[in-house]
Amino acid sequence: MDPQKNQGTGASIVARDITKIYGTGPDAFHALGPIDLDIKPGEFVSLIGPSGCGKSTTMLLVSGLEPISQGHVEIDGKPLTKPISEIGIVFQDHLLLDFRTAIQNVMLQQEIRKLDKADMRSRADALFEQLDLVGAEDKYPWQLSGGMRQRVSIARALVHDPSMLIMDEPFGALDAISRTQIRHDLEMLWLAKRKTVLFITHSIEEAVGLSDRVLVMSKSPGRIVEEISIDLPRPRPAHLGEYPEFAVYAKKIYTIFEKLGVYNF
Amino acid sequence: MAQMSTVETSGGTRGPALPAWLKSGLLTIVAVLIVMGVWQVAAIAFDVPVWLVPKPSDFMARFVSDFPLLLHHAFETSKTLLMGFALGVLIAVPLAFAITSFGALERGLFPVIVFLNIMPKTVIGPILIVWFGIGPLVAVLIVFLMSFFPVLVDSMSGFRAVDPRLYYITRSMGASPAQTFFRIRLPASMDHIFAGMKIGVVKAVEGVIIAEFIASSAGLGYLIMRASGFMDMTLMFSGLIMAALVALVFNSGMSIAEVVLMPWARRSQ
Repeated sequence: MDPQKNQGTGASIVARDITKIYGTGPDAFHALGPIDLDIKPGEFVSLIGPSGCGKSTTMLLVSGLEPISQGHVEIDGKPLTKPISEIGIVFQDHLLLDFRTAIQNVMLQQEIRKLDKADMRSRADALFEQLDLVGAEDKYPWQLSGGMRQRVSIARALVHDPSMLIMDEPFGALDAISRTQIRHDLEMLWLAKRKTVLFITHSIEEAVGLSDRVLVMSKSPGRIVEEISIDLPRPRPAHLGEYPEFAVYAKKIYTIFEKLGVYNF
Repeated sequence: MAQMSTVETSGGTRGPALPAWLKSGLLTIVAVLIVMGVWQVAAIAFDVPVWLVPKPSDFMARFVSDFPLLLHHAFETSKTLLMGFALGVLIAVPLAFAITSFGALERGLFPVIVFLNIMPKTVIGPILIVWFGIGPLVAVLIVFLMSFFPVLVDSMSGFRAVDPRLYYITRSMGASPAQTFFRIRLPASMDHIFAGMKIGVVKAVEGVIIAEFIASSAGLGYLIMRASGFMDMTLMFSGLIMAALVALVFNSGMSIAEVVLMPWARRSQ
């Protein structure tokens, strides 16, 4: 289960001294950094930190969706100059289009990217199967449960076979049971495809349960204060709390936050 | 009532239950017939003259005998209404998009729009008559002004309601501005635009008759005004019924268009 083994489909992300400052002059707000990132192809990395520490900003900077104030980013060794298209994005809110059915929401990728329709449809069908969405294809978002909407949102982020997936608290709005289930399904998908995943979360359980590596961030302006490799076998069990190894990692992260005086992550 | 609900729940045993819309339609007709009946009886009992308050039998007979005339003017009214309303929508929706897209436009233009919106539109009538002369064009312009603002205001809130993070996703797809507009922004704003259009149609129906009172040479408003000059009460009443029917047609037209154009909005009961 070494992520190195199955590489080739995931992108590498290298960031050096990236900083984000919103606005200029006396109103300028230093939101992030400087931080460095070294993410290997196919690696699953979580960013965890207090609210407003710049986790989401980091995600937007490395995907080229927001301009970087200082520093630079390389994706697969190439400098980042415009929004990456080889990417899938999932936010806390599903952000599905109300006026499209589940499958049409996923196929938006095909329509806008002008990819082959039949090919993409079969990929979408496969994803619906893996994400336990069979039967939901022709339903509109309002007809689906919160968990199912988020699954459709994940399918939309993966259907075009991107080399990286960025997820901003994707399970934050779900109930505990849905969270556990969807976390497991995401892990299985990742094991099958080995895309590079940058996963932002408030939940220590999710971070430890999913990641190869957890990056712990400080309060705003966020910096990376600690890096923890999670050396647990995969697929990881649903009820992590019962496993002593999990408790050790969780304790480690709690301790860092306590030292930083952070309790609101 | 208890009897009715039993029939409804037991379904097939007593033959197919009436659909809800038909049931409420029948109830409406019964209610109208009762009102008309009471009116008829009262008018006869108190011997009210026709030139003051005509009996339903009087104006319904007139409605039938002068139906071609009424239909002709109803058609003129509908034409004016449709042109004014279409003009309103065709200008309001793109303008709403422009205003919500450019901050400077919003700051500069919106106060003017708010001012024009609160101003009673019919006062422009006499000015428009000076500019364009008495005729359907003035009525079209008044209908346009009446229906324009609700569509504009609701379209603006529609265009604003799209979650900006969605644009991160479309940008990562490499979507062009045109793709983003036609595939995301416009359909995502449709329910707001339709809400505005529904209010706009009501305003337009209200406006078209008033506009024809003051500034037209055709249409139901003109017909009623002319009948008033001759104290032709039964024609005025039948014109009123025709005006209500025109309003009904346009309002139902909007509801049907909504169902056809926005199939996703059909929420379950």
